[in-house]
Amino acid sequence: MLEIAGISAGYSSVPVLRDVSITVAEGQFVSVVGPNGAGKSTLFRTISGILKPSAGAIRFEGNDLLALPASRRAHLGIAHVPEGRHVFPSLTVMENLELGAFTEAGRQNWKTNIDRILGLFPVLSERRRQFAGTLSGGEQQMLAIGRGLASSPKLLMLDEPSMGLAPTIADFIFDQLTEIRRQTRLTILLVEQRVAEALQTADHGYVLEAGRVVLEGDNQTLRANDRIRAAYLGM
Amino acid sequence: MSRAEVGPPHGVRLMTFPILVENVLQSLMAGLLVGAIYGLMCVGLALIFGIMRVINFAQGDFMMLGMYVAYFFFAALGVQPLFGSIFGPYVAAFLAAPVLFGVGYFAHQFLISRVSGTRTAQLDGEGHYAQLILTLGIALILQNASQMIFGSMVVSVRTPLSSTAWIIGPLWGDFIEIFVNKARAIAAIVSLLVIAGLALVIGGTRLGKALRASADDPTAATYIGIDVNFAHRIAFALGISITALAGGLLAPNYPFHPFVGLEYVIIMYAGVVLGGLGSIIGAFWGGMTIGIVQQMSALVLPTQLQNSAIFVFFLLIVLLRPQGLFGRVTERT
Repeated sequence: MLEIAGISAGYSSVPVLRDVSITVAEGQFVSVVGPNGAGKSTLFRTISGILKPSAGAIRFEGNDLLALPASRRAHLGIAHVPEGRHVFPSLTVMENLELGAFTEAGRQNWKTNIDRILGLFPVLSERRRQFAGTLSGGEQQMLAIGRGLASSPKLLMLDEPSMGLAPTIADFIFDQLTEIRRQTRLTILLVEQRVAEALQTADHGYVLEAGRVVLEGDNQTLRANDRIRAAYLGM
Repeated sequence: MSRAEVGPPHGVRLMTFPILVENVLQSLMAGLLVGAIYGLMCVGLALIFGIMRVINFAQGDFMMLGMYVAYFFFAALGVQPLFGSIFGPYVAAFLAAPVLFGVGYFAHQFLISRVSGTRTAQLDGEGHYAQLILTLGIALILQNASQMIFGSMVVSVRTPLSSTAWIIGPLWGDFIEIFVNKARAIAAIVSLLVIAGLALVIGGTRLGKALRASADDPTAATYIGIDVNFAHRIAFALGISITALAGGLLAPNYPFHPFVGLEYVIIMYAGVVLGGLGSIIGAFWGGMTIGIVQQMSALVLPTQLQNSAIFVFFLLIVLLRPQGLFGRVTERT
């Protein structure tokens, strides 16, 4: 579904990603893990088109993504839930969700999607008339994920959904992600620092360090890897 | 001589109190009417400066251009013979608005977009320095080109409405009568209707939400599929055309010339800041407040000091309520 081939990208002339290749098949849950500054968010920004890569290619369902402006990519079915939530603070919770459905697919499936979103995150229903800027961090994260789901995406990209959240809330969000998967078989690409959780739920994982993919494999292989166990899982 | 003999005789005092009330009510009415039009002007700038955070020093000059366009529609392009002198000025103002929408659209496409929007979102000061210089340049070009083309004569859109009035009263026995200038009253009502319509569009439609989202967080707006630069272009053009419409509505009462923009751009910025950045309704009330303060100050101050009164009041509000009358502190965290 998503093929990233030999991407190099960065800011000004400093390369952050070097020759990164990642493949996400339809229905797969893929995690990209790695320490701070490894280039995980840069990878997402490149897929979304905010950043232009200096080399490489990205294809989504056979379309050349790099030939499309950033604002068209959501309409192909890519939902990017950014690091730090980035909800629209002066819009209400409901307006944020409605704007998630800015895509054609989102508008057509609005009824089903909104029921599912409010079912997964009931607190959003309670706060529907509140300005998103007044929500707590956990609620904003739920809203950001809800906004992504409202677009009826084929691929949901989540950038550090647990960042800055209390462990119980982060756990709740991971549980709901598993629930979304169970309900819809949605393809998910996740970037996380909480390596244990990220690898536990994923079918396939990549380890990104200093802008390069240093390891990849399925869930079992990665969790059995000595280096991963020592560096990330504390075993 | 005793103190009592210095004051006016008893009968005179009875006469002056109703006159005082009449003057206050008369000024309040004038303030409400002018304030509504100022409010519309401010709403136009609020879309550009309050919401999109683009500094536009040429807003007053785009408005001046709108006044001239309305004037030419009225006087030269057949609006007056077709619609008469009563409806003509308003038809002309509404024809000027789409013309200035086009002007704003292209000004944004070729000039403003180079120093605003996603292009400068990551920069220090979000491109405000460049916007300042660019729009000041546009202002100077518009002023001087207008002087070359239109001349420096003061012109106005002539309608019998601007010199006739409805009379409220007599109230309170026979003492109080309030004159309501017809042209101002109609302009104020039209302004209110336009603002109500705009509030519905911004508040309720997909376009309105997309505009607000683009203003809130351009990057996240891109992620959900909004073409942010296009949204900014629409907001800029809409803001210009609304201010131009307000200019067209002012034209029957306020004669204008190529340099009139400066007088109004100051009122607009004061109104937008007064109402609270980022709030359309706030900008309207900001403009309304300025209209009322300006007209009421004429009761106690000489006319030349009317605009000083606005700024004393403005400074007071900014001191006591820095987020503006209607600004929310939680906005834009």
